[in-house]
Amino acid sequence: MDHSSKRGDRPGVSRRDFLRGTGAAATAVASLVKVPGVEAQEAKSGADVVAIGPGPVKLSLEVNGTTMTTNVEPRVTLLDALRNYLDVTGCKKVCDRGTCGACTVMVDGKPIYSCTMLALEAEGKKIRTAESLIDGGKLDPVPAAFVACDAQQCGFCTPGFVVAMRAVLDANPKATPAEVEKGLAGNICRCGTYEQMRHAIEDLCKAGGK
Amino acid sequence: MATKWPENRRVIGTNVPRLDGPEKSTGKAKYSYDINRPGMVYGVIVRCPHAHAKIKSIDTSAAEKMPGFRALHLIAREGTELYYAGEDVLAVAADTEEHALDVARAVKVEYEVLPFQVKESDALENDRKTLAPLGPRRERDNLRPPQTQESDEFADGMKNAEVTVTGTYGMPVISHQCLEAHGLVAEWGADGGLTVWASTQAVVGTADALARHFNTVHKMDMAGKVKCITHYMGGGFGSKFGPDVQGIACAELALKAKAPVKLMLDRASEITTAGNRPSAYGKVTIGGKKDGTITAFEADTWGTPGTGAARTVGPLPYVYLFQHKVKHTVIRLNLGNQRAMRAPGHPQSCFFTDCALDDFAAKIGMDPMQVRLRNIPPDDVNAKNTDPLSYPAMRGTLYKKQIEIAAQLSGWANKWHPPGKGGDGPIKHGIGMALHTWGGFAAGPNDVTVTISSDGTVLVQTSTQDLGTAQRTVNAIVVAEILGLEPKDITVQIGENPFGRSGGSGGSTTCPSQAPASLLAAVKARDEMFAVIAKKLNAKVEDLSITKGKVVDKASGNEYEWKKACALLGTSRPRGVGTWSGAEAAKQANAGLSKGGVGGVQVAEVLVDTETGVVRCKQIVAVQDCGLIINKLACESQVAGGVIMGLNYALFEELIADRATGRIVNPDMEFYKLGGINDMPKIIVHMIDMPERGVIGIGEPPTISTHAAIGNAIFNALGVRVPETPFTPDRVLAALAKGAK
Repeated sequence: MDHSSKRGDRPGVSRRDFLRGTGAAATAVASLVKVPGVEAQEAKSGADVVAIGPGPVKLSLEVNGTTMTTNVEPRVTLLDALRNYLDVTGCKKVCDRGTCGACTVMVDGKPIYSCTMLALEAEGKKIRTAESLIDGGKLDPVPAAFVACDAQQCGFCTPGFVVAMRAVLDANPKATPAEVEKGLAGNICRCGTYEQMRHAIEDLCKAGGK
Repeated sequence: MATKWPENRRVIGTNVPRLDGPEKSTGKAKYSYDINRPGMVYGVIVRCPHAHAKIKSIDTSAAEKMPGFRALHLIAREGTELYYAGEDVLAVAADTEEHALDVARAVKVEYEVLPFQVKESDALENDRKTLAPLGPRRERDNLRPPQTQESDEFADGMKNAEVTVTGTYGMPVISHQCLEAHGLVAEWGADGGLTVWASTQAVVGTADALARHFNTVHKMDMAGKVKCITHYMGGGFGSKFGPDVQGIACAELALKAKAPVKLMLDRASEITTAGNRPSAYGKVTIGGKKDGTITAFEADTWGTPGTGAARTVGPLPYVYLFQHKVKHTVIRLNLGNQRAMRAPGHPQSCFFTDCALDDFAAKIGMDPMQVRLRNIPPDDVNAKNTDPLSYPAMRGTLYKKQIEIAAQLSGWANKWHPPGKGGDGPIKHGIGMALHTWGGFAAGPNDVTVTISSDGTVLVQTSTQDLGTAQRTVNAIVVAEILGLEPKDITVQIGENPFGRSGGSGGSTTCPSQAPASLLAAVKARDEMFAVIAKKLNAKVEDLSITKGKVVDKASGNEYEWKKACALLGTSRPRGVGTWSGAEAAKQANAGLSKGGVGGVQVAEVLVDTETGVVRCKQIVAVQDCGLIINKLACESQVAGGVIMGLNYALFEELIADRATGRIVNPDMEFYKLGGINDMPKIIVHMIDMPERGVIGIGEPPTISTHAAIGNAIFNALGVRVPETPFTPDRVLAALAKGAK
């Protein structure tokens, strides 16, 4: 997060400021996420930053082109904010620690694990979830290929895969199947739909991701 | 006349994309975890951190004063003895998930820590008697009395052996790792009814179990007042058959909080407490002739089901009918209880049998495929007469055919080489084979209702659940076939217990139960429709039939578009209820609608780096029969998925308990490994369509033999056996080092 991205309308602490203030990156990140109250206290020891929380603060997110607002504690992740506070449930909570990719959403076009980002960090950014890939019954080519090739079984990992694949193809419409696969390396499927996913990737790459 | 599957099938057996695919892939489908109810609060379970302890005191006074606290439900009490790290103590609810975790952290529980045992090998050396009392003699032993079995001519078989080979083999405890955790949302209505949105493999069973709980514990009358909804569920694999501790706790919290409660297990709890596949270790001796004929099989096996007492292996010897002597010892440990996991016991039995068979083949210098062909059980002559569609009647012919197809698709003749001759460089090539079998019979009873409306819409309702097998689409395909429609024209509602009876989705029983029930229901609804419209068409009922999109009057030659024909129904709603069960399937008159007993053969090809110990699986061929295929697309993806799960068993999966603390050290997804897309081989699925047998379940069999095939491929590459899964680099290098001595 860049220094300049600090919100002007509300005092806050960027992660970079925060880490600089505490000088113990690993511990700081852990406490930022896990221990209520600690972030406020420790941030106060930083130079000129003003702490927010630990109580709920106003959160405004742009999700799939719509501005959504709620109140969350600063410790709430983007994933939990979307699912628990905004009822956007296409991103799934599985490992909740940045391993499985089921919570993948796009933030300003880049696929991220929404369980590893604080909701407040996502303010001012464009968030895109799997739900954006269907419009009035018309499917985006990525989920359409998943459906056509049966690249999903229980389907709990699928929205994460679909978002990750959409992001790869958006970034590079000429991506090869190997490149698309690389872009899916951060996602895990338990039912074992990878073979059918490869069929979908092949079809999509032939069509230039369209 | 008994209803049969149509001779000429227009929709059945084709590739039909699953009907709910668009909703699932775009996150619109609402799983239990996704249900957010007005006023809903969040539940969390407080768990015992010790592998064996007695609760000295529980102090919730601070927790109950925490912000957002709403309810508390005690699962254990002061004095309760707990038998594994992670066992449930109590549940709390608070207004937000964050507050619920704070409340849980504020609960103070004091324990008297007791001796525990979490390793099979430790228990074999020193039985510390650390488990819950079992049976009339209240035994706390880690080791259960061994179970033994010996066939009549085992001793002769061993005596007649020209060659004997003994090996040790093993598989650790692994986790189901369902991506949607176990859990539910529970909500009490103003009428005293309870609705749960549960992630379950047994919609009806879960509702019934919850009703029983409240009837018994609270003396309530919940008959007909518990509704379980499971429209979508994110994986079960055998671990989600009832409300579980968290289901009861969630409903109790909802009652106390007077608000809907969501209680989903976190990942660590999911892995530690919501079931696992038991371990299996053993020593196997195979005796046989130099021509490859196996004359005797002896296995001494053991494994842990955790705190339970269930066997950890399936039938031994597996698939083959060798003269045998088998012994199995259940080792109870202070770990979460095992649960059924995708063909329970079979992967373990397959591994023992098929790996030992390859070691025997190596000893006599034969191609292990030839040893298999020589030893596959012959067709049962009596069964050929009494039940010609049964597995015993056809097993010899079937396996021979499957082995030949698998050999041809994998290029076995050119790729197989004697063990250890996998190339001169550090990276060795290997190929291996294994066989499996499974049931997949109907169970139940399962009810399916088909209703035809005058606007032409067709509604199918059944209480069953879809674990990821495209069950809705199965129902739609069958009904569309009978009514001359396309699957997308059919509205299918599943996963609600008021829709009728259905069994839990275990044992690959769902498709063979649901498909015939759908057929019977559709035929009844169609016939009722004919009865209503025949008069209006001046036709005889027996002259009416359906072709694609049309009702046809044979006598007049007139054809009526489906919607126009339906418009004649007026206010009547032709409705057919079909019921199918194991008992129905067993009736002679019903032969051909559903069956069970399948065979499968898999061939794996690997590259093993002898410098790093890394195994890459290059290709897996899976040949599988499953009777009448309803949806070819979903059937093939089910088989490929089974293979991938088996590959995960082979290369990645192991739940590790810490000897010092008694805790699971990898209850997560970074140190409990599952393969990603880059780890996957090319998978070639070959289905043997046997429509004359009727529908057979396919969920479990394709996952059984994969790890044994990979294990045998590694043996073929290296010439030394890597005895235990997962075949991680350390194990491969250790086996190479041992083999070099």
